[in-house]
Amino acid sequence: MIQLIKVSKSFDGGLSYAVKDLSLDVAEGETVVLLGSSGCGKTTTLKMINRLIEPTSGLISVGGQDVTSQEPVLLRRKIGYVFQEIGLFPHMTIEQNIGIVPKLLGWDKNRRRLRACELLELMGLNPGVFANRYPDELSGGQQQRVGVARALSANPNYLLMDEPFGALDALTRDTLQQELLSLKERLKKTIIFVTHDIFEAITLGDRIAILHEGKLEQIGTKEIVYNHPESQFVAELFSKPAKQLAVFKEIT
Amino acid sequence: MAAETYIDFVFERLPELWLRTGEHLMLTGVSTGMAIILGVPMGILASRVVRLHGPMLGATGILQTIPSLAMLAILLALTGKIGALPAIIALVLYALLPIVRNTSTGIQSVSPAELEAARGIGMTDHQQLWMVKIPLALPVIVAGIRTAAVTGVGIATLSAFIGAGGLGQFINRGLALSNNNLILLGAIPAALLALIVDFSIAAVVWSLQSRRHRHLQPRMQIVVRTLALLLPFLIGIGGVIAYMSRSGSTSKIEDQSHKRKVVIASKNFTEQLILGELMAQLIEQQTDIYVVRRFNLGGTMICHGGLVNGEIDIYAEYTGTGLTAILKKEVLSDPDKAFKVVAREYRNQFDIEWLQPFGFNNTYAITVRKRDAHLHGWEKISDLTSAAPDLRAGFTSEFAERPDGYPGLQKVYGYNFGEVRDLDPTLMYKALAKEEVDVICAFATDGRIAAYDLKPLLDDRGFFPPYYAAPVIRAKMLKAHPEIRDVLAPLSGLLDDVTMQHLNYEVDGKKRSPQDVVSKFLKSHNLLN
Repeated sequence: MIQLIKVSKSFDGGLSYAVKDLSLDVAEGETVVLLGSSGCGKTTTLKMINRLIEPTSGLISVGGQDVTSQEPVLLRRKIGYVFQEIGLFPHMTIEQNIGIVPKLLGWDKNRRRLRACELLELMGLNPGVFANRYPDELSGGQQQRVGVARALSANPNYLLMDEPFGALDALTRDTLQQELLSLKERLKKTIIFVTHDIFEAITLGDRIAILHEGKLEQIGTKEIVYNHPESQFVAELFSKPAKQLAVFKEIT
Repeated sequence: MAAETYIDFVFERLPELWLRTGEHLMLTGVSTGMAIILGVPMGILASRVVRLHGPMLGATGILQTIPSLAMLAILLALTGKIGALPAIIALVLYALLPIVRNTSTGIQSVSPAELEAARGIGMTDHQQLWMVKIPLALPVIVAGIRTAAVTGVGIATLSAFIGAGGLGQFINRGLALSNNNLILLGAIPAALLALIVDFSIAAVVWSLQSRRHRHLQPRMQIVVRTLALLLPFLIGIGGVIAYMSRSGSTSKIEDQSHKRKVVIASKNFTEQLILGELMAQLIEQQTDIYVVRRFNLGGTMICHGGLVNGEIDIYAEYTGTGLTAILKKEVLSDPDKAFKVVAREYRNQFDIEWLQPFGFNNTYAITVRKRDAHLHGWEKISDLTSAAPDLRAGFTSEFAERPDGYPGLQKVYGYNFGEVRDLDPTLMYKALAKEEVDVICAFATDGRIAAYDLKPLLDDRGFFPPYYAAPVIRAKMLKAHPEIRDVLAPLSGLLDDVTMQHLNYEVDGKKRSPQDVVSKFLKSHNLLN
């Protein structure tokens, strides 16, 4: 379980807040999507969970343990992280990239290799083809599959995903969303997924948390947030794609 | 010179070429290695501590702007040594900038995406540095090392100025003797060496790019990559071995006669080589003292510094130079008075003795082409007064600065030349002959005055101070070997201006080696059998 209690973050000593009084519970095995436009504080929230950013006030716990009581480096190794810009290391092979966290944890070489092959297969990439390639020899979609595999390498219970499919084209994005959906059914990870894409949020989220100007507007299942918006902002957010959809329907 | 004789020329000097190449590689290899050991950590530090970045790059940048001779003179003063030590320190200081700069920019230019990933997956600062930043910055770091090593090969030619040998020895000697073959004998191997060093580091880069050799068998890969990686080290070690084999053999001789050894030095022009050789051959012939020749050192400051520090025992100095450049005293136009003053002051200040002068007065001579002199009726320096604004002067940098040089000349004769260029003393005669300049500050005894058909003008206002050459020797050496005074005594007054011009011309004009010219001269005076 990941729990945030009245978490705030100010980058300018309290003049303004990127995140303000945010409280959020994510249950074991649940996927919560943080949805909002850029600058709403969703990435800041995500980074506070593994202490890439330290909160100004409030309490964050992962698996019942206060994160500030843990060494940041050790905490991060227990939490898988998928980056928007993928961030594979260009000087390492795919196998080495996937094996990096296990290496930090002191796994031996054979175990790392087996784990990398296992994960490549899980992500639908043939280990025989891809294990010894370098990141720049892969397409964007393949690279982010490796990014997900890297996040899963040490078998963490928690997965933080920061707009992982944002830089991919629409078709690839759709494929990866579907893969992630089936993956999460099988792996039962607790996932916090950041996006600004409403359709992605609806597709992937067990619950959707809508953030606006650093504050949590509403959290709930897609049916609840769509049918019972608690604020003007949420209502407008969901009505816009509906209008866009209407345009599509006119064409067809 | 025909191709065949040039091959002979090179062939005769092969053992020395091997030795100098070894020295050169040792100087470059050791200094680049030390610059890497110092520079890479400095670059890493500069990339991590923002406050250090500017000052560090600034400091290494300033080091690089120090002219090489000034650097050598400063290091001589600081270390009190001539030879490999100050040369290596100078080369290390020059090599720092590219290495420090490339290391810090290489690390700083690692993309934010990769850095965030490194942090986000749980790497410590240390792991981020070693597993991500340095490997990604490595091509840039190696490029900096490559720049440092290749320019190092070039700069190492200057080591000869401070008696550290290397291929610069040939170049210096060639410049001093206006002997193009000798210059090429140093310059061509130096250029080849630069290419080889460049190639060897390119091989390292290749071996670091793991994906380049995927087509090779794994075992083959390891062999080829290891070889490529080790190439620069093998070349460096080769240099050190060549250097050690040399210094091993000479140091044995030096050890044997440890107490009976005299180091004779010279500055880097023909007359100095001849005077050094004269003293060396006489001492070799008439005593059992072992003579070490440290010729072609880069100028007065380095020779004098070496003498004061006891790295050198004897060289030939000029009264005027001692008076103005070393003692910083006013010009004295009376030769005897000048000699008395330098002899007294050297003894008091430096514990150095002046022996009796050789006889000639190698003062500056304002010199023009004989053709121009005839055309315009120039005989005296004051005859140039009306033409001076249209004349281009080529002066040595020493002459352009010294109070007894151009600044004083301007005052006494009351005119300025239209343009003044700094020229190397070995190049200015040719520059005058080829009409690149119209006036030079020749040395009165230079053989090239006759060789290039030049005319020294009369110093009608008696401005130039006397420059009588005499051996200067450490008092301690003279006390330990009083016989040296007697051995050198026959040289006193033996060389008048014309004789010295003649000897200089034998070397400069007729391309004879100073050794041959000197031994022939000594034999003709029954001083040598």
